[in-house]
Amino acid sequence: MSTVEVLTSLQNSALGHAIAKSDHLVGAAAQVFHVLGFVVLLAAVVLINLRLSGVALQGQSIPNVAREPLRLVWLGLALAVITGILMFVSAPLLYYANPAFVTKIWLLGAAVLLQVTLYRRVVASERPSRLLARSAVLLSILLWFGVGVTGRAIGYI
Amino acid sequence: MSLILELAQGLQYSALGVALAESAYAFPLIEALHLIGLSVSVGLIFLIDLRLIGVFLKHVPVTDLLHQTRPLVLGGFAVVFVTGVLLFWSEAATVIVSPAFPVKFLFIAIAGLNALYFEFRIAKRPPVAENHAVLPASVRTAGLVSLASWSAVIVAGRLIPYLP
Repeated sequence: MSTVEVLTSLQNSALGHAIAKSDHLVGAAAQVFHVLGFVVLLAAVVLINLRLSGVALQGQSIPNVAREPLRLVWLGLALAVITGILMFVSAPLLYYANPAFVTKIWLLGAAVLLQVTLYRRVVASERPSRLLARSAVLLSILLWFGVGVTGRAIGYI
Repeated sequence: MSLILELAQGLQYSALGVALAESAYAFPLIEALHLIGLSVSVGLIFLIDLRLIGVFLKHVPVTDLLHQTRPLVLGGFAVVFVTGVLLFWSEAATVIVSPAFPVKFLFIAIAGLNALYFEFRIAKRPPVAENHAVLPASVRTAGLVSLASWSAVIVAGRLIPYLP
């Protein structure tokens, strides 16, 4: 089956129909929790990045500062992904054809990949090399901001 | 009400309002900056609230978290404010008829007053100022009020295009 065929059957599935035909406030609620999840995720990344950049919370080691915010990163991501899937299922063909959405998904994939590779290594280390720490900060901000910008553009393209 | 509506229409149909609304890139970019500014400012405030409530980063002194995140919190708010004014400019008459719009500002006012009370009363007293291990109930309450009211601001803000 081609991607379009898979998406068509998803759109015509019981879940797809149920969400698409539900009250518009169901979609609004999904939007609200999607944004709240992203806000929590981004703020937690920013806080860890402040420590990695040597700007804040220098009295604590990097792993000590990063541990709890990292949980919030995954919690926020889970909330955003679950609500995102609900929105996607209601109109998969529409989203699939939207260049902002496609870009967002690639950026999201890259951001998650960064989190589980370089970023994880850097925040687990008491004294990461300056270059690695700076790369982790810069890449994470670029990728997560990119997810936000392209995500917000979906409705306008 | 009709005077407010007329003013809002004047703003929305001004040269800048129309230019912003019709621009393929400016409008979504301003929306995106509004979201990112919000995530940095209100998002960091959420984390500070969790610390005040006593469920997050308990080993980090409250004053460190407050003072060292402040430049980003205020910078984020500056971005939110400027982009918010521009968004309002381009769709003033559309948004003021949404009941979510005044509700959003009501909760911004509550959150703002709570923050000022915390900053100029609660945080000046010894428990916070001297980073005592056990913080009084007022600190926890301020964190809860902040968390609830900023959440309400985000909920109401995101609902503006959906209500009525």
